[in-house]
Order: sequence, then structure tokens, then C-alpha cells
Amino acid sequence: MNTNNHNKAHIAERVFDYIKNEHLVPRPRWEFVIKNYFFWLLGALAVAFGALACSATFFEIANVDWRLSAATHTTFFSFFLAAAPFVWIGTLALFICIGYINIRRTNHGYRYSLPIIALGAVLTSLTLGTGLYAIGFGGRIDEAIGDHPPFYRPVLVQQQSWWLAPEKGLLGGEVINVASDLASFTLRDFSGHMWEIDGSDLRNPDLTTIARGGIVRVVGLPVQTGTSASATSSSFHACFVFPWNFRGGPKNGLPPPLAVVASTSKRDATTTQSDLCKNIRPYQQLRDIEDSGF
Amino acid sequence: MTLEMHPRQGDDASDEEIVRRTLLDKEAFVFLIKRYEAKLMRYLERLGVGLLEDREDILQNAFIKAYKNLNSFDPTLAFSSWMYRIVHNEAMSFFRAKHARPQVVLNEEGEALITELQDETADTSLLAETRLSQKELTKALETLSQSYRDALTLRFFENRSYAEMSDILQVPVGTVSTLLYRAKHALRDALPKTFSS
Repeated sequence: MNTNNHNKAHIAERVFDYIKNEHLVPRPRWEFVIKNYFFWLLGALAVAFGALACSATFFEIANVDWRLSAATHTTFFSFFLAAAPFVWIGTLALFICIGYINIRRTNHGYRYSLPIIALGAVLTSLTLGTGLYAIGFGGRIDEAIGDHPPFYRPVLVQQQSWWLAPEKGLLGGEVINVASDLASFTLRDFSGHMWEIDGSDLRNPDLTTIARGGIVRVVGLPVQTGTSASATSSSFHACFVFPWNFRGGPKNGLPPPLAVVASTSKRDATTTQSDLCKNIRPYQQLRDIEDSGF
Repeated sequence: MTLEMHPRQGDDASDEEIVRRTLLDKEAFVFLIKRYEAKLMRYLERLGVGLLEDREDILQNAFIKAYKNLNSFDPTLAFSSWMYRIVHNEAMSFFRAKHARPQVVLNEEGEALITELQDETADTSLLAETRLSQKELTKALETLSQSYRDALTLRFFENRSYAEMSDILQVPVGTVSTLLYRAKHALRDALPKTFSS
């Protein structure tokens, strides 16, 4: 027997003896089948979570009004940093990675390249995410998850904070009462405080928005009335009023529009505004936005 | 113990048939061992497992692992690819555990690789005058990363197709192509200037 033959017999014998002496038996097929399905399931779940993250991303993008960024932020870059849905995009990327890792561990997973799996996962997440956003899931997820991580605020809460700054001329809230001549209206801000809003400088698009009621954003100036801080209401001079229509959110997340009897035809709104309004920042830009039909 | 081989039971049967038979009768597994051990021993040597005892231990572990996981063998793959994959993974675990560096040993091999490198070079008349020694090729291969060496070994020493390499290394076929392309370039760079210029 030459060395090669000796080795052959040697290894075959060693292996067979080991199998026999240790009473080894092949692991049952179902273990491998379950393992394979388990990784597919994890991969699919990751993509499903990616779709949820995607719907929340859409919700944020749809509800962050970049047109008013000049009013709420000093630069567009600071607005972008504050408003871009980094958390959700990061979550989406994370779940796509988890999906990729799990799909790679399935029987034939290694045959798919990262770009193919990533593209498939992204397209699936986008498709499912669009559907979920359309049926109002994006807002629910943003609301439900948004309160828990300390570094994240739901888009609704975040924007409310931007529009709860009367000292900067920004006020948001619900229109709860409108004078019949539309010269003034009452607004309850997001903290529950009441405001008497002077609407003498408002133009037709603003008046239409007030007449529709619901949640609005007001750009103007706080009026010093000399009353104490504990007063039940404060005064505000409005220059522009923009509607606040949330898209893709929970239907019960916003109050129903106010049944306002007033009509814009009752008042001849001026096209020119007082110097008080012309001094606010950025007057011309806001006026252009309003004129172009918000 | 001496194992008696019955050629009619194993020699003519396909690998997949013997796998099916092994699941009913463990003795049939010996046919698979006999069929692959010489090839796999050579493969381990090419992967850089220098000592015969180490190669035997790795191969023994690989066969035991294959037997235990026989039900996970997917008949849509070639059995040889599946077996090569197990041996490759065992060898990599061995290098990691021992913190050992693979020892590249080329005997009378490497012609296919040298030819491949020459074919890709423009001036073949010049190259005809250049003779690359086994020593120089071994030295150049030693400088390559493990993944490049794996790719070159499978392709040019084991004559595996891209699809088989994909199944063995568990990477997409596109990655195999890229790996081979880069490995050849890296090898050419590592070769003496008279050959690569």
C-alpha cells in the first residue's frame, strides 16, 4: 500500500469509526427547513418594519412645510437639519441592513448581491410604506413611537413648538371664534392659551383661511396690552394666516373645521397692509407664498 | 477496522445518490469520503495548510460536519461545491484558531494561472521569453490577501467554474468575477517586473 492509499484508508476509517462510536446521526431535515424559513421571516419582518419607517418618513416630509421655513428658521440649512426625517431614514437603513443580513443567511441568500437585496428591500419598503402612509399609518407611527426615544419628537409636536413662539411673531392653534366682520378672531394655541387676534391687516386669502377654521398658523406681532402674565388671553396682530392641513395623519388628530358663518364678502379686505406688517420678516416672501395660493 | 468497498454500490453512483443512500445507511458515506479525500487534501494544501497532520484533522472534521449536516445539502448544488465549502470554512477556522498564516506551496502547478496572466498582457512575444519560476509565483501569491488567493486557487488550481466558486465561497457570481479580476491584477503587480511590465 502506498502512502496515498494508506492516507485514504486512514481518514475514511477515522471518520467512519467516529461516526459509529459516537452514534452520530444526521440532523433532521426539518431543523434546516425551519432555520431557513426563520431567516426569511426575519428578513421579511425587517422589510416590513422598513415600510413602517418609510410611511413615517413620508408623513414627516408631507407635513413639514418648507415654504414657511423662512418664517420659522433663520436659514434653510437650519430648517433642513431640524425638519429632515433623519431618524426615520436611519431606521429604514437599519432595517434594510438587518433584512440583508438575514436574507444572506438563507440557503441561497449568498447568491444575491448587496445592491440587489438593498434595491429589492428599498422598493418593497417604499411600495408598502406608500400604502401605509395613504391609509394614515405614517402619522400613527410618528405619534406612537415619537414620544419614546429621548432624541426624537413627533413631527406634529416639533412643528407646534415652532409655532408657539409669539415673541418671534409665530403663533399656531385652533380658531375657535370669528367676529362676523372678520376683523378679529379668537385662537387657542397649542398650550391651551387663548389669543385675541387682530385681523385688520389681513387680506382675502387670510380671511378665507380663518373662515374655514381649524388649525391655522399666524405670522404677525404680539401686542403689548399691559396686562399681567396670568391674564386669560393675550393679543396678537395678524399679518398672514396660513392653513395647517396635516396629510396622511390620523383622522382624529386634528379638530374638525369650525362652522363659521362669516363670509369674506362681508369685509372689503385691503390689498395693502400697514407698516406694522411690512416690517415683519420675511414680508415679501410670505406675501408671494400667499398670493401663489397656499 | 477495515472497510470493505463494494464498487457496484458506490463507484458508479452519483454523489447525490450516495447522499440519499447515506441517510439510510451510514456506511455509504465512506464512498463519498473515498471519492473526495484526495482532491480535498490537495485543496487544503493549496489553501496553505502546510502540515499533513493538520490537513488530515481538518478533513476529518469536515467530513464529520458534512455527515451531521447531510440533510442540509441542497441537491440543486453540486455535492462537490458543498463539500469544498465545508472544507474551505474549516480551513479558515483553523487559520483563525491557530493564528496561523497560510503557507503557499506550489508543486508542478500554476501553469493555468501563468497562462491566464500572459494572455491578458499585450506583448506576448516578449513574455514568451520570460519564464516564471514556481518560486517567484509562490512568493507573489504569498503577498496576496486570503480572499484573492482563495479565488485564484479555486479557479486556476481546482478548475472551478464561476457558479461553483460562488457556491463554495458563498458570494454572488458578480463578486467572484470582481474578486478574480482584482486578484489577477494584484498578482501581476506582485510578480517580478520582467514578467508584469
